[in-house]
Amino acid sequence: MQSKNIKKNTTNSWIDKNLPQVGELSRIDAWWGLVIIVLLLIILLVTLVPQPFSRILNYVSDGVIITLVVTLTSFILTMILGLLCGLGRVSKNKLIYGVVSVYVEVVRGIPLLVQLMVWYFAFPAIIINLGKTLNYEPFETYLANPIMMAIIGISICYAAYMAEIVRAGIEALPAGQMEAARSLGMTQPQAMRYIILPQAYRTIMPAIGNEFITLLKDSSLVSVVAVADLTRRGREFMSTTFLPIETWLMVALIYLLMTLIAARIVKLLENKTKLEK
Amino acid sequence: MEEPIISIRDVHKYFRDDIQALRGVSLDVYKGEVIMIIGPSGSGKSTLLRSINNLEQIDFGDIIVDGHSVNNHKDINALRMEVGMVFQQFNLFPHLTVLDNVMLAQKIVRKRGEKEAYETAMLLLEKVGIPEKASAFPLQLSGGQQQRVAIARALAMNPKIMLFDEPTSALDPEMIQEVLEVMIQLAKEGMTMVVVSHEMGFARAAANRCILMDSGKIIEEAPNDELFTNPKEERTKLFLSRIL
Ligand SMILES: Nc1ncnc2c1ncn2[C@@H]1O[C@H](COP(=O)(O)OP(=O)(O)OP(=O)(O)O)[C@@H](O)[C@H]1O
Ligand SMILES: [Mg+2]
Repeated sequence: MQSKNIKKNTTNSWIDKNLPQVGELSRIDAWWGLVIIVLLLIILLVTLVPQPFSRILNYVSDGVIITLVVTLTSFILTMILGLLCGLGRVSKNKLIYGVVSVYVEVVRGIPLLVQLMVWYFAFPAIIINLGKTLNYEPFETYLANPIMMAIIGISICYAAYMAEIVRAGIEALPAGQMEAARSLGMTQPQAMRYIILPQAYRTIMPAIGNEFITLLKDSSLVSVVAVADLTRRGREFMSTTFLPIETWLMVALIYLLMTLIAARIVKLLENKTKLEK
Repeated sequence: MEEPIISIRDVHKYFRDDIQALRGVSLDVYKGEVIMIIGPSGSGKSTLLRSINNLEQIDFGDIIVDGHSVNNHKDINALRMEVGMVFQQFNLFPHLTVLDNVMLAQKIVRKRGEKEAYETAMLLLEKVGIPEKASAFPLQLSGGQQQRVAIARALAMNPKIMLFDEPTSALDPEMIQEVLEVMIQLAKEGMTMVVVSHEMGFARAAANRCILMDSGKIIEEAPNDELFTNPKEERTKLFLSRIL
């Protein structure tokens, strides 16, 4: 199982080095070629060998939806929370800075899988115990929604990493930008909004894209906390049919297709922000 | 005599507790005056200039700009609206066009409408001689053009005072003149200016007073360009012999 700590290097080098970059091939984009190959492979397997591949695809398709929902929702929350915490990390307010720094350091020191366990198993138990001591009915009967807990767990974990990306992006700008904005009478928030963040966004866009792809893959961890995502549906199928090779080939191909498409979209967005300049 | 528009009173400034950048600087600047500050590297010229609009917070003393004290932190943005600043490195906003560079603060700080901000911006771009570059991005301009845009951007806020921190030091020699001309024009129109620069040409053309700073103190002060032509203090002579 992939842990949040080693994934950083693996994803980045995988994306940056091994796959062709935009502009290397003038007309046909090799990346889309790869997407098409994977897609064709899936279609071929499903049409030529419907037994069991078509069955597998049908069985896990609702898992694909769950994976996408968990990934996209978590990513949006990660962006919002990560931006706020990133601003906290560059704040001159000692209290805000301190609180956010502790959060970032703590969260980054605990594997994502353990965090998901905490949210799904420990957190509800705390609420129920609290309900018992306070004699508060809604807490006593609290039942954790697996998908919600998974989304909370991923977002809180990933936001800590995102905060560091945002902070690095802001700190990479020359101090003169903030000074010029302030010398024109802009308040700190105005300078952030109109001068600093739009520029930081351009530099951190590739890193955000990488985070998205890693999040998509790490979302498979939620299968352990009762979320019926693609991975969990694959495991369920395997345990009823005993077809490990076919099942995991199919699941792996679907993940690959999703990450390849995501990587492609990220690259397009990146180039768009570059062109504007 | 009237009230000074900038009153600097016994200002001290430390960096990291051990570097004393300013050691008791006092200076009054009157409306319409052009003050030029020269001095060796590290003498505190930038620190003094940046203290005037509170980019550096002073540790002791007071600076009062048109009735606003830098020690009154609630008043800082009001103070900064009255003080335009031009930096050595231009510090234009690279993600905005030249026009937007000049319009943005007008809209969000001065709360001007789109039309008024646009007209002010175009008027100022004409004044600094580059209206045709309005839709270009800063990095597409030469250094001299960028610095003129930076001057227009500061002027767009209708400041009562303009501060210049070595505005021509980062420029290629052939571009220095075009920026100095804009500054001299501004001085002739009666703008109050505090200029850190070693350009003697500017002193001759526009300065009312020149000041030599060394190790955080004002060493000598002389009217017009007499500091260059007729220095009294040894340290001034020594410094001039090194730069001229
Ligand atoms: N942000 C800072 N942190 C620490 N020390 C600083 C900082 N800014 C300036 N100093 C120090 O304060 C002193 C005065 O610096 P200042 O920049 O005002 O000099 P200056 O006269 O403008 O020099 P220059 O001609 O090189 O621009 C120097 O010793 C400098 O090293
Ligand atoms: Mg300086």
